[in-house]
Amino acid sequence: MSDNEITVFKQSVALVSKKIKTLSTDFVQYKHLDFLSKDIETSGKMVFKEPNSLLWQYKKPYSYSIIFKNGKILINDEGKKSAVDIGNSKLFGKINKLIVGSVSGDLFDDKEFSISYFKNKDQNVTKFIPKDTALKKYIKQIELTFGKEDATVVQVKLMESSEDYTRIVLKNKVINAKVDEASFTN
Amino acid sequence: MQKSMKLLLRISSILVLVLSSCVTNTVVKDYATVPLEKTFFEVPYFSDPAFDYVYKANITVYGKELTGIFIAKKINDTTHRVVFTTEFGNKLLDFEISETDFKVNSIVDELNRKMLINTLVSDFRLLLRSHYVIKKQLDNNENTVYLTEQGKMFNYLFISKSANTLSKIVHSSKRKEKINLFFSSENNIFATKIIIQHITMPLKIELNYFNEHAN
Repeated sequence: MSDNEITVFKQSVALVSKKIKTLSTDFVQYKHLDFLSKDIETSGKMVFKEPNSLLWQYKKPYSYSIIFKNGKILINDEGKKSAVDIGNSKLFGKINKLIVGSVSGDLFDDKEFSISYFKNKDQNVTKFIPKDTALKKYIKQIELTFGKEDATVVQVKLMESSEDYTRIVLKNKVINAKVDEASFTN
Repeated sequence: MQKSMKLLLRISSILVLVLSSCVTNTVVKDYATVPLEKTFFEVPYFSDPAFDYVYKANITVYGKELTGIFIAKKINDTTHRVVFTTEFGNKLLDFEISETDFKVNSIVDELNRKMLINTLVSDFRLLLRSHYVIKKQLDNNENTVYLTEQGKMFNYLFISKSANTLSKIVHSSKRKEKINLFFSSENNIFATKIIIQHITMPLKIELNYFNEHAN
């Protein structure tokens, strides 16, 4: 992308992500490990509500959900519930911000990431390399793919190495529909 | 007096030796030894190199629970690749394990403890091993048991007579059971559920086969 294209692209994404008060989307996650014959597929839904409530729920092939809310992580593993107090853990704060930012597209923080921009016919692709050493251990690079039409994220790719990555495809995205607080209880 | 004391000591020490060598574990208490039907046993559960073995894993260790995805694949004649990830897909550990060797490709700092790695490697080795030389065969109404040796340790392989599948492995010293592995298999090709239960430490690993097309 040219400098001008980057500016226009960032503005359009910022405009969309600024308007997001709630967001819910279905997702399909493909875990790619180079030595496997096919990707491991899981799927479910994600719900976000301002300022920082987040539900990430796997429905297939198993039921597992994780909720980030008020400095707590609530886990429900096939009905087995647990809670972890993360308090002011900086790393978890960053992970929370990262998940929400990845889905909403609001990840353009030059202090946190080295960012590069690419485009093809239908999509814009941004690559984020974390600067934080703790985060860098888990994620080498995040790649967000935006649809050109509505400037929202359609795919998140979390690279662990050049061979191994997690690809999450978002679909049936709904922005600013009413989200019940009960979605974020275990 | 001194002479008789020495004799008594000698007799008692011999007695202790004889008695202790007779003490065996209770793994096959109600079983009768029968002639060997075969000399080898092949475990099918992790033996197909074309198959990706993917399981949802729940690990309970010292009262703490860790969940994620367990992945194993036979990458050559002797070696399996074993990866454990979070539900999100982040790799927590990545090992290559054969019967005589292992390599840590990667492990997160939180799990990078020598004792933990050694325990997991020996558990996975037991889980993934496919070839056993049978030393002794035992039998009761429910199971045929193949006794196999592993250095100073023993593995008792329980074959369920009704299902004709390997249902349990007991890893044991001469006197004490160390680890129990329980398998549930419907097709004798792979196991749908596996439990690795340690007897001498509070560690339990439960694996449930990952059916991507399940509802």
